[in-house]
Amino acid sequence: MANYTENELAQDLQNQEYKFGFVTDIESETVPVGLNEEIIRLISSKKNEPDWLLNYRLKSFALWKEMTEPEWAHVHYEKPDFQGITYYSAPKQTKKYESWDDVDPELKETMKKLGISMEEQQRLTGVAVDFVMDSVSVATSFKAKLNELGIIFCSFSDAVQEHPELVQKYMGTVVPNTDNFYAALNSAVFTDGSFCYIPKGVRCPMELSTYFRINAGGTGQFERTLVVADEGSYVSYLEGCTAPQRDENQLHAAVVELIAMDDAEIKYSTVQNWYPGDKAGKGGVFNFVTKRGICHTNAKISWTQVETGSAVTWKYPSCILKGDHSIGEFYSVAVTNNYQQADTGTKMVHLGKNTKSTIISKGISAGKSQNSYRGLVQIHKGAKNARNFSQCDSLLMTDECGAHTFPYIECKNPTAKIEHEATTSKIGEDQLFYCMQRGISEEKAISLIVNGYCKEVLNQLPMEFAVEAQKLLAISLEGSVG
Amino acid sequence: METNTLNKLSLFVEDLHEASLAPQPLIDAAKEYLLGQDLPTTKSERFKYTRLAKLANANFTDPSKTSNSVEKPLAPIEDAYLLIINHEEVILPQDLPKGVDICLIQDSPVAWHEAAFKDVFGALNTLHAQMGLSICIRRNTVLDKPLQIVHAHNGGKQFFRHHLQFEQNSEAQIYFVSQSMEGSVSFAHTHFQFDIAKDARIKIFKIQDTSSGHFHFTEDRAKQAEGSHFQINTLTLDGSFVRNDSQVQIQGEHAQTYLNGAYWLKDDQHLANYTTIDHQVPNCESFETYKGVAADKAVGVFNGKVFVRKDAQKTNAYQSNANVLLSEDASINSKPELEIYADDVKCSHGSTTGQLDENALFYLRARGLSESAAKNLLLQAFMEDVLTYIPNEDLLKFIHHRIGQRFNWVY
Repeated sequence: MANYTENELAQDLQNQEYKFGFVTDIESETVPVGLNEEIIRLISSKKNEPDWLLNYRLKSFALWKEMTEPEWAHVHYEKPDFQGITYYSAPKQTKKYESWDDVDPELKETMKKLGISMEEQQRLTGVAVDFVMDSVSVATSFKAKLNELGIIFCSFSDAVQEHPELVQKYMGTVVPNTDNFYAALNSAVFTDGSFCYIPKGVRCPMELSTYFRINAGGTGQFERTLVVADEGSYVSYLEGCTAPQRDENQLHAAVVELIAMDDAEIKYSTVQNWYPGDKAGKGGVFNFVTKRGICHTNAKISWTQVETGSAVTWKYPSCILKGDHSIGEFYSVAVTNNYQQADTGTKMVHLGKNTKSTIISKGISAGKSQNSYRGLVQIHKGAKNARNFSQCDSLLMTDECGAHTFPYIECKNPTAKIEHEATTSKIGEDQLFYCMQRGISEEKAISLIVNGYCKEVLNQLPMEFAVEAQKLLAISLEGSVG
Repeated sequence: METNTLNKLSLFVEDLHEASLAPQPLIDAAKEYLLGQDLPTTKSERFKYTRLAKLANANFTDPSKTSNSVEKPLAPIEDAYLLIINHEEVILPQDLPKGVDICLIQDSPVAWHEAAFKDVFGALNTLHAQMGLSICIRRNTVLDKPLQIVHAHNGGKQFFRHHLQFEQNSEAQIYFVSQSMEGSVSFAHTHFQFDIAKDARIKIFKIQDTSSGHFHFTEDRAKQAEGSHFQINTLTLDGSFVRNDSQVQIQGEHAQTYLNGAYWLKDDQHLANYTTIDHQVPNCESFETYKGVAADKAVGVFNGKVFVRKDAQKTNAYQSNANVLLSEDASINSKPELEIYADDVKCSHGSTTGQLDENALFYLRARGLSESAAKNLLLQAFMEDVLTYIPNEDLLKFIHHRIGQRFNWVY
């Protein structure tokens, strides 16, 4: 291993294949291919939705038809054929599982392969998992315990049935259906997702977690997540994804809305590992996600993401700091390899007084990938004493990849303090030399340096997730990260 | 509504006449480009923060009704070759040394080489440029004193186009001083083409000191060869609406590029600085420092882009933009960009917008300075970073004087 050279490393990176690629063989109930009002009515009726939601969908669809796909992102891809997608696919057994034993063994197998065996998680980690297998939640654990505290954590469709007043009150308030092309599309055709409500003053005792997984071939996944943290509450929410290997591009256009009321705190962590396409750049998931949170007085929203998958990523988890003294944070590690393209970053919109935001973004590009940070820090007139610190670092692993930074900084208040800094470089020769001189092999040294480079972000992840994140980093950059 | 916006460009060009200084193919291309175009809106990325409505609605002073002669323009630098230009005439310095050739752009055979345009104003310039200089500093010529070009704008909408060629191993400092008549409303778009040959050492200073009714657009397009050293310093002292777009292509190894800017904005001034440094070859360095203050309702925009091509290994690029906001209504928009396709590079950028350091203020006040005096002192110090690039004492004095006047700063 001592002779492990950078070229070999690059070679290894290219050769390494997606490890979580497999298709679970479960009969799915799907609607016809294509998108029109009929399909939307069909989805809505299949899900037994109230009229207001159907109207919302139809209105969004009308809006969507008027919109054009955004082209400003630094990514190139073949536009998805929106009429070639099946907009609804549910595992056939729609009955609710009373206990873990009722769950289809094949699903259990899938989860095992993903490393999230339910029994184990229930026993060992204390994580309540709302497992989404192609759009419909099949198992929800720890529900009883959460119920005691008044916490609502269920699939979006259940929430629509059981808590329509909450859903109607908050849905679309942070990401309106007019927001952008993909948000409008999602608002029209979303199939399921997660809903979470933390009542006043409650501190959620466990980390809430949802695993998303694209399964049936040709099914776009349109998830909708809504997290509402009422006054003085706290919740840490985990979202992680792995997807089976597949040839045609799959579209994933999710919408995530977070609402942090006065004094509330939401911590939202994502590990994203959709199928990135093979090493020739064929296939892979298109990940066009709209994530946004709103902070009321004294509230805090913290986004942490580890992005290793997807052929094309287009994702900007944002915070609207509406209330005075509110805090927004964004910690991100984005790894691209082979022909992956990522255009990701955040928006921090400072409206209230004494608002603070922190942005730490670490990009790692390998292979022939392109990795961009795109961010907006906007200080509005009333945002007295607003404070922002941004740091965007990029690491280049080969001479064929690219790393780009597009920060927008807009300041309209003289008392605001904004700092932005960015660096782009490859792994320092001196750092490598230092490690190797102390008897560490080059491969291990690179791994050490990359781990150190991402530490600021990985430290933000909850324990349960940090392990998975490390695993994913290792897989994405195998040979360089241990 | 629709027809109204469509008409903005045609309204703008209505009273312009073609000057046809450019070669025919280029004119044709420009005409074709402008077909169906309109003035850019804020939806266009390059004009995101610049509203052109003010320009479209401006009531320009008729230049024929103002005094036309080149009446004693203010030349800040005493010891320099003085060239005076306006939209109709050029007064060349009498004592030009050997190795410096200056002629009108239409008389230069090379001036339109590689001429191109990327936006509406560039195309308009190609069509309507009515005056321009072609300046050539010959091989191994070292200018003993700076060349000072004073341009007095006197109303109307005018386009200028200059071509500057610096041959191998030449050295020069060139100061462009833009002025405009107090009370006149004018628009000027100036295109500069710089060709910097091997080992040339060139410093360009643009002193933008136009009156409050002037719309000042400049476009720099530079190409640098091996081992050359090139500097553009843009100093915006006044002018209601200023837009600078500098693009440097580094085509030879071991070249160095400096782009610096200083701006002092007040009232309802609008200033936009756009820069692009395109590293095409390995082993080059670029440094960008833009600093400014914005008071009253002024708006400052900075958009810097460093582009490192795939082959441009060992590039060292540094970019910084620092701003101080002095009032509630002022705003700053900063967008420092990096686009990097090579791995063995060191690129960084920083952008800050904020306030004077309270500890520093306290330190000064504790020593008996009034609040305003202390603030002024710190602001002056803040701006000195860029002013250190100015080697000419006369110019420094001039800037201090002008800024002192406008901001009541005591130097």
